Amino acid sequence: MNPITDDDLVLYRYRDGLDAARLEQIAAALAESPALRERYAAIERAIAHFDSEALEPDPDLGSRLWRRLSPQLEEAGVVVTSSRGMLDRLRAWLTPTQTRFAFAVAATVLVAIGVGFVVGRQSVTAPPSQVAANDVEAAAARVLEAYVAANLRATEGVLLTASNSGDTSLLEGNRELAQSLVESNRLYALAAARAGNTQLAAFLRQLEPVLLSLANQPGTATLQSSEDLRHFLDSTDLLFQVRTIEARLDRTGKRRADHDGDSAI
Amino acid sequence: MADDEARWIARARAGEAAAFRHLVDANGAALFRVCARITGDRALAEDAVQEALLNAFRHLADFDGRSAFSTWLYRIAVNAALAQVRKRRDAEVAWPQGEGDAAPFDAADESPTPDRQAMSAEIRRHVDAELARMSPMERAAFVLRHHEGRSIEEICAALSLNVSGAKQAIFRAVRKLRAALEASGELI
Repeated sequence: MNPITDDDLVLYRYRDGLDAARLEQIAAALAESPALRERYAAIERAIAHFDSEALEPDPDLGSRLWRRLSPQLEEAGVVVTSSRGMLDRLRAWLTPTQTRFAFAVAATVLVAIGVGFVVGRQSVTAPPSQVAANDVEAAAARVLEAYVAANLRATEGVLLTASNSGDTSLLEGNRELAQSLVESNRLYALAAARAGNTQLAAFLRQLEPVLLSLANQPGTATLQSSEDLRHFLDSTDLLFQVRTIEARLDRTGKRRADHDGDSAI
Repeated sequence: MADDEARWIARARAGEAAAFRHLVDANGAALFRVCARITGDRALAEDAVQEALLNAFRHLADFDGRSAFSTWLYRIAVNAALAQVRKRRDAEVAWPQGEGDAAPFDAADESPTPDRQAMSAEIRRHVDAELARMSPMERAAFVLRHHEGRSIEEICAALSLNVSGAKQAIFRAVRKLRAALEASGELI
């Protein structure tokens, strides 16, 4: 029999890279020889030192990876833009009735936005002092951001409750809250568009059909509808987007407030 | 390959962001574990996983389904981890560490287990020094065999080695670790 090397024992440890006959020879030799058993035990002890490395990922790894990957994939043209994908999935989630209602309201909002745009342009042509106008604009932006951030916080709560709660009384209250949010969300989208913040306006407009469908959910909302909503939220990252924009608005608001404070000194 | 996984892959190929997100969630943690063991550093491991997933998603059309999707991803991730280690090693050559600095693999474990806590600082220093002497390829081969339970054949495919090369990489890794532990008196 060939002498048994430490390398053989390493392969034996993993039952890999040796043929069956050699494995049997080593097993028999280990049973007979205390010296060989000691050599094998030393290898086992050495290898065991690797096992003490605890390298479990933290629970946020998936979200963090996706936050970093998503823009890269979009930039590389590997994925369709998120807003387009979101609309497609929203259509799949909404029932036909809800879709018609959502689009009817969206059309109303478009008309309102058009009116807002015209009114906004007329107000810009007025000749106030430039400095005073800037102050007023900054204050208006700060107020708008604070209100939108609060509205998004409430929206986040509504989405979470609708997707996680099976309590009918809680869902009833949630529907009422969603109804009130539809109106304010629409107003803030209009105001953001008028203020020239087209990205925020577009995002708020994307939220509207979701809020509408929650506001018009039947009283007998099923577990399946909650499940569908959860799937929709997961697949569109809507909650993440709501939180991100909410946090961004909070940060901007704080910066503006700090800046105003500095200016006042 | 499971039907469910095949459907997600097909949807990802069609450019659906949600499908990519699903594949990230389904595979991210496993890829992180292997990359973390190869790099010995959580931050480098995360960079490697991100790099690997981006690379994989950009070349999703090349995945022919002959191997499991996870194995295909694995191969890409192992190479991304090796690239991260090489990059770091190059940076360390350019900016040598001071004597008081941590050994390269010191950051592997941020939450020490009782075993580790019991290990004296001196032993730890010896072992870290020896681990750092392992080549990225040796460490990767050992991690794949020991922690990931991959066969030598799979290791050959993942690391582009022949059977002899894969075995030798594992043997050298074990020898270096044993030498470190023997030098510190751990195995005596």
